[in-house]
Amino acid sequence: MMKYTLFVGCNIPARVQQYELAARSVAVNLGIELVENQEFKCCGYPMQNSDNRTFILMAARNLALAEKDGLDMMVLCKCCFGSLKKAAHQIQQDSKLQKEVNTFLAKEDLSYSGNAEIKHFLSILFHDVGLTEIKKKISTPFTDLSVATHYGCHALRPSDVTRFDDPVRPSLFDDLVKVTGAKSVEWPLQLECCGAPLVGINDTLSMDLAEKKLADCNRAGADYVCVGCPYCQMQFDRVQNMMVSERELTYEIPSIVYPQLLGLAMGLSEESLGLKMNTMTISNLESYIQMETQMETEN
Amino acid sequence: MLYTFMVYIALSVFAIGLIYSLSSWFRFNVGINADGMTPWARIRAAIKGIVGLFNKEKLTVLGKVFVFDILLQNHIQKQDRLRWIMHMLIFSAFMFLFIFHALDQIIVTPIFDRFYLMMNPWLIIAGLILLTGLSISLYRRYILKVPRLKTSGMDLYTIIILLLIILSGLFMEMTKITSYEYYQKIWWVHIVVCLFGLAFLPFSKMFHMFTTPLSLLANAVMDENSDPANIATRQVMELDACTHCNTCSRHCSVAVASDHLGNDTILPSERMIFLKEYVANKNISSKKLAAIGQGIYLCTNCDRCTVVCPAGINLRELWFSAREELVRNKPPVDLMLTPFSYFRGLNHRRIDQEQYDIPLENVKSMLTSGCDFSAEMDVAPIVLNQGSHEFHEALGLSKRIESFTYCFSCENCSTVCPVVTNYAASQQSLDLLPHQIIRSVALGLKEMATGSKMLWNCLSCYQCQEHCPQGVKVTDIFNTLKTVSLKTTSSTGKK
Repeated sequence: MMKYTLFVGCNIPARVQQYELAARSVAVNLGIELVENQEFKCCGYPMQNSDNRTFILMAARNLALAEKDGLDMMVLCKCCFGSLKKAAHQIQQDSKLQKEVNTFLAKEDLSYSGNAEIKHFLSILFHDVGLTEIKKKISTPFTDLSVATHYGCHALRPSDVTRFDDPVRPSLFDDLVKVTGAKSVEWPLQLECCGAPLVGINDTLSMDLAEKKLADCNRAGADYVCVGCPYCQMQFDRVQNMMVSERELTYEIPSIVYPQLLGLAMGLSEESLGLKMNTMTISNLESYIQMETQMETEN
Repeated sequence: MLYTFMVYIALSVFAIGLIYSLSSWFRFNVGINADGMTPWARIRAAIKGIVGLFNKEKLTVLGKVFVFDILLQNHIQKQDRLRWIMHMLIFSAFMFLFIFHALDQIIVTPIFDRFYLMMNPWLIIAGLILLTGLSISLYRRYILKVPRLKTSGMDLYTIIILLLIILSGLFMEMTKITSYEYYQKIWWVHIVVCLFGLAFLPFSKMFHMFTTPLSLLANAVMDENSDPANIATRQVMELDACTHCNTCSRHCSVAVASDHLGNDTILPSERMIFLKEYVANKNISSKKLAAIGQGIYLCTNCDRCTVVCPAGINLRELWFSAREELVRNKPPVDLMLTPFSYFRGLNHRRIDQEQYDIPLENVKSMLTSGCDFSAEMDVAPIVLNQGSHEFHEALGLSKRIESFTYCFSCENCSTVCPVVTNYAASQQSLDLLPHQIIRSVALGLKEMATGSKMLWNCLSCYQCQEHCPQGVKVTDIFNTLKTVSLKTTSSTGKK
């Protein structure tokens, strides 16, 4: 049985609870065991451009906790994933830094040696579970659903550190979407930033970037944008919802977190996937399934 | 005679204290709610709010909170079993002693008449139970050393006053049989300590016996959409409801930053102590203001403190209000240009547009004032900075950072940058393009490298770094530049 310690970060428990809910439901269905660690704290992401040392210590403490549990980490947020990866990379390259980190961690009887692997949820699904196993669990696949996959910057880049997928031509996420029966559309701005890092700093620019991406999704004929990160989800869900009124968008491309999409194709209940917790309504998604089951009954 | 006189004095001080504290809930405010509202208007709003509670639905909610959260203290039980045992021992024994001993003339004598002495063994048992509770409290603080459990002067006072009351009471009972003389002396000690505790109660942590239940009740029936006047009142009351139990700080997401930076006000429990003083007197030194600015802004708004608070305090909203007030102060909070602004941005509609923009503009101009790009571009010849060596040193010169020397100005970074692409006249809008920042670093032009709008609008999406044919760690360098710049401008004196 696959066993990981779940790292949810800060954004998910406060604002994107449906992501954790759906990920847990999907994990149970796929035989993934998730272990709680109440001691996990902020990954350090927000400190990265103001104080590198504090950032490293914040990340390292989490890594040390996972190590103490003797488990690999399953990270849901791509910004958390990227930060933890970057911190681990920096510490491993600098023995002096590692010593300093361990002196700091010793106060809490922790130490970091780099034994726990940091894995993103999507990587675990793709590499550790595998498409064949996932396919076996798909009971109500989608038909005629077009999805735009948004990879998320901090999982893809810097690729020498994150090693998530090919940074220029990734395919992992598209394959995971295709396995649900949905179509993954090609869209030129797929690998661009969602704009979330500038929310609260330069909101106009942040919305400009999100709007461009959504327009691109729309041009590519996507019904939904699918993400694997709470920041991206917030940007395409709550911020898009604000943009609909503030910017008079002529189209709406609701966003869905991947385990919600996968869970629906697995026939999991709406409540267990928290579909109603999204800001923009995604109930329309079920119509793509109903057609399938109706066809089955007709046959 | 003296005794009666002392009782009246203590009761008067208690009453004055109570009126002072109650009035402060309507006179003061934390941050932006109820700005410019008179205390009378807030009292009227509070009365209206309370009257609105008299319906079946709301009363059921309040009833449940009273039984489970106030009497049984379910919130504490869920967090920490030992602490719950400690608090239940103190709470139950204190209430018992208060009703059957302190108020004995009012309650015990009329009921038991001449047999009032039969209460005595129970009083001693209650005293011992309270003593056990206090011992657990001391054990947690000084032997178990619960992580991030900070002991303030007020915490210590509370433990000491309770210890004095209980020990003097127990000794008094013990000497009753052996020596009347000693008994009388200790009786006076017991009375004086009890009356002092009573008189000082509205100014001490013990006040939480009224305010914490009130906070639990208020938060059960209020939300974001409640009358802003009532939210403001509730928030000041919540400062009194905080018992400094440190549950919030134990769960705080950014507690590690507080450990490292040595800024206690990053921890929620310590912010509460600060805010309590601050609402009453807003004239504090700019150094302290900068520290608290960092303290309150360095928060991921993960809501954990709000979820775990045993007093039911809506800390999330308290931070939101306090933050809006503190960012308007000078010096500006430099962390505003980091992802810590995320929550504020998501909630921009709750803030007046101008008030939302001004603090951001202040920080931006502070951080970009070092270099006048419009003038320098056309006329001034670039003078190589004498201090370039120190500047490079300050960048850390780690392997990743050193990579700027490989740049051959192919401009790939600027071509793939989504921020650059967003502007038709990118150079004018952003001062410098990414490749120009890298060149400024190489030339040791510190003001240029750290002062452009480009740098402070960088998303850290790593497109530039990923696409650099020379392996220049462009985004990492940008992050380092921001760090260096914040270190030099920041008044909080980060390490």
